[in-house]
Amino acid sequence: MSRRLALTLAVLAVSLVSSRAPAAPPAEVVIGAVYPLSGNLAKVGNDIKDAIELAAELVNDDVDIPVPLGKGRGLPNLGGARVRVVFADHQSSPEKGLSEAERLISQEKVVAVMGSYNSNVTATASQAAERLKTPFLNADSTSPLLTSRGFRWFFRTTPTDDEFSENFFKFLGEMKKRGKTIKSVALFYENTLFGTDVSKFEKKYAQQYGYPIVADVAYDAKSTNLNAEIQRLKAASPDVLLQASYTNDAILSTKTMKELDFRPQAILAMDAGHVSSEYVPSLGKDAESVLSREVWALGLGAKKPIVRQVNELFRKKTQAARGQPIDMDGTSARAFVGMLVLADAINRAGSTDAEKIRAALESTDLPGDSLIMPWRGVKFDPKTHQNTLGSGILVQIQDGKYVVVYPFDLAAAEVRWPLATWGK
Amino acid sequence: MIAQALVSGLLIGFVFALIAAGLTLIFGVMEIVNFAHGEFLMLSMYLSYFLHAGLGWDPIAALPVNAIALFALGVIVYYALIRRVLRAPMLAQVFATFGLGVFLQNAAQFLWRPDFRTLGNTWVTGRIALAGVYVSGPQLAAAGGAVVTTAGLWWLLSRTEIGRALLATAEDRQAASLMGINPDRMFALAWGLGAACVGVAGALLSTFYYVFPQVGGVFALIAFVAVALGGFGSVVGAFAGGVLIGVVESLAGVFIAPAVKNVFVFAIYLVVVLLRPRGLFGKL
Amino acid sequence: MKIGIAAAVVVAVLLYPLVLRGPYPQHLMILVLLNALLGTAWNILGGFAGQISLGQATFFGAGAYTSTLLFQHAGVSPWVGLVAGAALAAALALAIGYPCFRLSGHYFAIATIAIGEIAGIAVTNWEFAGGAVGLFLPVEGEGMGAFKFGDKLGYYYVVAAFLALSVALAAWLRRGRAGYYWRAIREDQAAARSVGVPALRYKQLAIAISAALTAMAGTFYAQYLLFIDPPSVLPLSLSIQICLVAVLGGAGTLVGPLLGAAVLVPLSAATSVALGGSGRSLDLVVYGALIMVIAVFEPSGLVGIARRVRRRISAQR
Repeated sequence: MSRRLALTLAVLAVSLVSSRAPAAPPAEVVIGAVYPLSGNLAKVGNDIKDAIELAAELVNDDVDIPVPLGKGRGLPNLGGARVRVVFADHQSSPEKGLSEAERLISQEKVVAVMGSYNSNVTATASQAAERLKTPFLNADSTSPLLTSRGFRWFFRTTPTDDEFSENFFKFLGEMKKRGKTIKSVALFYENTLFGTDVSKFEKKYAQQYGYPIVADVAYDAKSTNLNAEIQRLKAASPDVLLQASYTNDAILSTKTMKELDFRPQAILAMDAGHVSSEYVPSLGKDAESVLSREVWALGLGAKKPIVRQVNELFRKKTQAARGQPIDMDGTSARAFVGMLVLADAINRAGSTDAEKIRAALESTDLPGDSLIMPWRGVKFDPKTHQNTLGSGILVQIQDGKYVVVYPFDLAAAEVRWPLATWGK
Repeated sequence: MIAQALVSGLLIGFVFALIAAGLTLIFGVMEIVNFAHGEFLMLSMYLSYFLHAGLGWDPIAALPVNAIALFALGVIVYYALIRRVLRAPMLAQVFATFGLGVFLQNAAQFLWRPDFRTLGNTWVTGRIALAGVYVSGPQLAAAGGAVVTTAGLWWLLSRTEIGRALLATAEDRQAASLMGINPDRMFALAWGLGAACVGVAGALLSTFYYVFPQVGGVFALIAFVAVALGGFGSVVGAFAGGVLIGVVESLAGVFIAPAVKNVFVFAIYLVVVLLRPRGLFGKL
Repeated sequence: MKIGIAAAVVVAVLLYPLVLRGPYPQHLMILVLLNALLGTAWNILGGFAGQISLGQATFFGAGAYTSTLLFQHAGVSPWVGLVAGAALAAALALAIGYPCFRLSGHYFAIATIAIGEIAGIAVTNWEFAGGAVGLFLPVEGEGMGAFKFGDKLGYYYVVAAFLALSVALAAWLRRGRAGYYWRAIREDQAAARSVGVPALRYKQLAIAISAALTAMAGTFYAQYLLFIDPPSVLPLSLSIQICLVAVLGGAGTLVGPLLGAAVLVPLSAATSVALGGSGRSLDLVVYGALIMVIAVFEPSGLVGIARRVRRRISAQR
């Protein structure tokens, strides 16, 4: 009986997703997207979903914005075929990431897959794509390991933690030139994949750039309190704190720093929690002057008008979908760009053939001014398939807003340094 | 530094103790472990949040509301779910409450979204500095509230008529009913009181901790360990267990390594039960 | 009739991947078989001997990490790694069991949680084992000898064979002296001791076998996903899920864990395909409600329903 039940359910699962016979030229091109749509990361996943859908709309409709494929309807080289995105939820589980990618490729007949935010899920989902010979585009996982696996079908547009970490130390060098005394740094990071990965590169570059590390504090992100951790940092009294935290621990640690009166000259955070939409509202004044690396900021619009234009469309879309307008952030902006890079490659391939799309991705060469990113463009390394033209920025919380302060040529305001004493 | 570590550990330990006290009371009276205890805490924190965001009630002022609401929830859960599995095997009871926990946690996410929420501008804020030791106002208030509530629970159990009836039911259901005590009522009361304890704990926590659907899990695991450490069913034991865990966690974090501080919490449990198989204050 | 049903199930399992050829239905069924394997292993300790373990992930992780580390650092075949992992897990289980079997009921269950959590934290901070980053296995080099297959069929029949092996082992043990002693220990340990049952020795036997089978499943998982990290092979949620499969199916019976896996896995897949894309975790709300319903109406598990159906059929005859 169990047998029959399982069979019925499997058949049910199959029939839920009717497969579409490919016609020539196809009326639509289907792309899969595997993201965390439920669980702890549901909010991030849903932001990504809206951004990808927005990008698909820009491709499908005739829009007068200078992004790739903005003008004209659909993919011109495929007879104006429309792009359709099928989403799947991986619930932050590497096993689900693998199976959902397989399901999209084999049953939804998607021509390429995007995903998957969590680096460990991207690892397994991209492996499914590698086995099934389907292009996989990653726009938002920063673990450097992912592009060192020698995969043929894996492409990554976002810069990695390696580049972001080095950026911190370049910035500190610039601040020294401006007369700040920075003698020591301390590392403070959550001890899962994200934090430990980041800390490795920070250690490497701290040594290379000659900053002694006076405290190296890893903590459990599930901690109910961080008193002990902050006490250790305070005892070491570093000039600069390099922090990598998720949302809840970022908020908790800042509160605890205030309670225990720990105040270095500057806090350099590795985005994530410190740029989440809850961070500033939860802390108010106590969040002031924290610096974070970012991949993107709304402030870029001062130098790049398309940032504002796309953000307006995103606000309209989220207003319609969720009842309140939401601004883009680093994650949704990268997802948006990732989708356009993929659509551009499929269009240049002029076909839904996997090998042709792969070849087109390899020859991708998009200029920086067609992107809403601070990057110089998108061009993949022929071996690793890592985007070689990406770069990061630093933002600072100034009067409750994230303001671009570095690199100086994109900056909208001066860096505030050092941090004010608590409550001032 | 050792003074600071001790104080920080004690403050959070008192809150662990209160959460554990509610759990152990339910167990003591009817030998059921409530695996949805963390979710009760989560619901109480959301209640504080919504009362604060919607009506502007401070969590401390609204404390009785949380206690009463969670008391009612506990009683409802008892009559709707627990009463039906009273005679079922232990594992079925575990999964009834576990299923309730999964249900409540995800229903919260469905209704209120997975976002983190914090209460701004509560009554108690700021910090006190005393001889180089910093104490945060909200944490001090929470610890104080937790001690008072746990003491109140202990007093209720050991010094009042109702408490004696509860303990008599725990001791021997049949004998208690012969004495004119309705065991069904006592069980419902135990669930109500146990849930009211986390109700208070949730309100106190919400002044300095953020609210999100999975928040209960973190505290519930510690509460289980605290209860077992102190001995299932013993309120004094749960109190001692909670405080001990808070202090061990803090000291290990400061003097050994923060990333592995919880190893010491679990290790101390193992050491204690291996020496005293029924916990510090358990009935042997 | 029992043998008839069993034979039909075996044939259906063997034919399934030849009929449904897509990777997704095959993956689903692999998960069913894997969960059935884990549930059966839990059942030997928790169902037969009555010692509730909420730390099975420790053994699962031991299997996954042993074979993967041996392969990465010494080029040892995963098949040898499988045996090594099972042996290590069994040794670990004996080391845990020796002191912890003095504990009863909830104290034992929480001790297994504590050990599982310690293992998870330890591996997360253990650089050599990949720490929080986890371990990758190379995708190339497929074949039976490498315990790595290009398509799902190979994995499917390997896990089906593992399951058959453990069900046969469980059936054989249950029928023999061990099964008899386990039942005595489960019902009343003090009474069992007083009539001369060597309780500790037989509880140790149960935990060692349970751990070894769970570790085999762990190695299989590592070879199947080719990536492991602490949150995917050592979490408390995995330990609870393993227990859930067996208990909802019917603890202490042979078919219980199989039934539990056959119902729970497709159910959670179906709710997540149907409701998961919306991003509001409605699937888990339904899942939680269902667990409550089963606990209330069928406290002895799905086996109880199956029995009732069978009784009704035979009554009609």
